[in-house]
Amino acid sequence: MAPPDYAPPRSLWALYLGFLSIGARSFGGVLPWAHRVLVEEKRWIVPADFAQVLALCQFLPGPNVGNVSVVLGRRWFGARGAVVAFLGLMALPLAWVFALALLYAGYAADPAVRAVVTGAGIAGGGLFIGTALKLARPIARRPWGVAIGIACFAALAIGRVSLFAVLPVALALGWLAARSGRL
Amino acid sequence: MPTLLEIALYFILLSLVSVGGIPSVMPEMQRIVVEVKGWMDPAAFTQMFAVAQAAPGPNVLVTALIGWKSAGIAAGLVALAAFCAPAAALTYWVGGYWDRMREAPWRKVFQRTLIPVTVGFVAAGGYVLATPLGLDWRGVLIAGVCALTLFLTRLNPLWLLAGGGVLGYFLYQ
Repeated sequence: MAPPDYAPPRSLWALYLGFLSIGARSFGGVLPWAHRVLVEEKRWIVPADFAQVLALCQFLPGPNVGNVSVVLGRRWFGARGAVVAFLGLMALPLAWVFALALLYAGYAADPAVRAVVTGAGIAGGGLFIGTALKLARPIARRPWGVAIGIACFAALAIGRVSLFAVLPVALALGWLAARSGRL
Repeated sequence: MPTLLEIALYFILLSLVSVGGIPSVMPEMQRIVVEVKGWMDPAAFTQMFAVAQAAPGPNVLVTALIGWKSAGIAAGLVALAAFCAPAAALTYWVGGYWDRMREAPWRKVFQRTLIPVTVGFVAAGGYVLATPLGLDWRGVLIAGVCALTLFLTRLNPLWLLAGGGVLGYFLYQ
C-alpha cells in the first residue's frame, strides 16, 4: 500500500508539466531527475514501485526513461497519458538539441571548435566503456559471462558484424549459460 | 542522400533491438550510417554524438541529430519517431504483464542472460565512438582516462566530457 501522501497526478496537464520538468533539467542523464521529480518532488509513485518500473524499462528495447513515461502515463491516464508523458519528456530536450546542433553547425568550420567537440565525443565513448565495466561487475568472476561479453565486443567493434547477426547468437549462448547456472 | 522512408526503416529496425537503450545500438547505427551507407564520415558521427551528449535530455536524441545530418531536419524527426515508437508500443503492451511475472523463473534467467550481452554491446558502442580517426593514441588516452575515472570514482560524467573537450582542443588541432 502506498503511504497516504503519495498520490497520482490529478490531471493530464499536471502529468505533462511533471515530465516537462524532468526533460528541462536532465543535464548529464535523465534517470536521476526522473527519480527526483516523480518520487521526491511530485510524490506520484513510491520508491520501490519506481524501481520495479525501471527494471522493466531497462529490460525492454527503447530509451529507458522514455519507456518509464509510457508505462506510468498508461497506468494513470491510459493511452492518452502514455502519449502526453512521452511528449512532455521529449519536448524541451528536442528543441535544445536542435538549437545546439544549429549553433555547432555555424562554428563547425573552425578547427578549434571541431577539435573540442571531437575530444568531448571521444570522452563520451570512454564513458560508455566505463559504464560497460560497471555493468560487468556481477559477471567478472564468471568465465562464460566474460567470454560472451568479449565476443560481443569483438564481433561488433573489431569485426564490424551487424548487430542483427550478433544479437540472436549472443542471446542464445547467454541463455544456455544462464540456464545452466554459469552466469 | 537517403529518403525519409529509408531512414524510418533503419531506425525502426534499430528500435526493436535496442535492449539496454541507445548505447547498445551505437555500433550498429555507426556501421549503417558511416560504413555501409556513407551518409557521413566517422568524425561527423562522433561530433553529432558529442553535441547530443552536451544537451540536457534523454540520449535517444542522438537519433534526431544523426537523421538530421544524414538528410535534413525532417529526417531527424523521422529518425527519432521511428526509433521511439516501436519500443514505446512494445512497452505499452508489455507494461501490464510484467509485474505478474515478477517471480517467473524465465524472467530471472533472461535478466542474467542480458548482462554479458549488454556489456559487450555498450563497450563496442564506446569503441566506435572513441575511434573516429581510427585507433590513435590521442583517442585511446582520452577514452581510457574517462572510462577508468568513471569506473573508479563518483565524479560527475559532465566533468569528464568537459575534460575530453579540453584535451581535444590541445590534441586534435
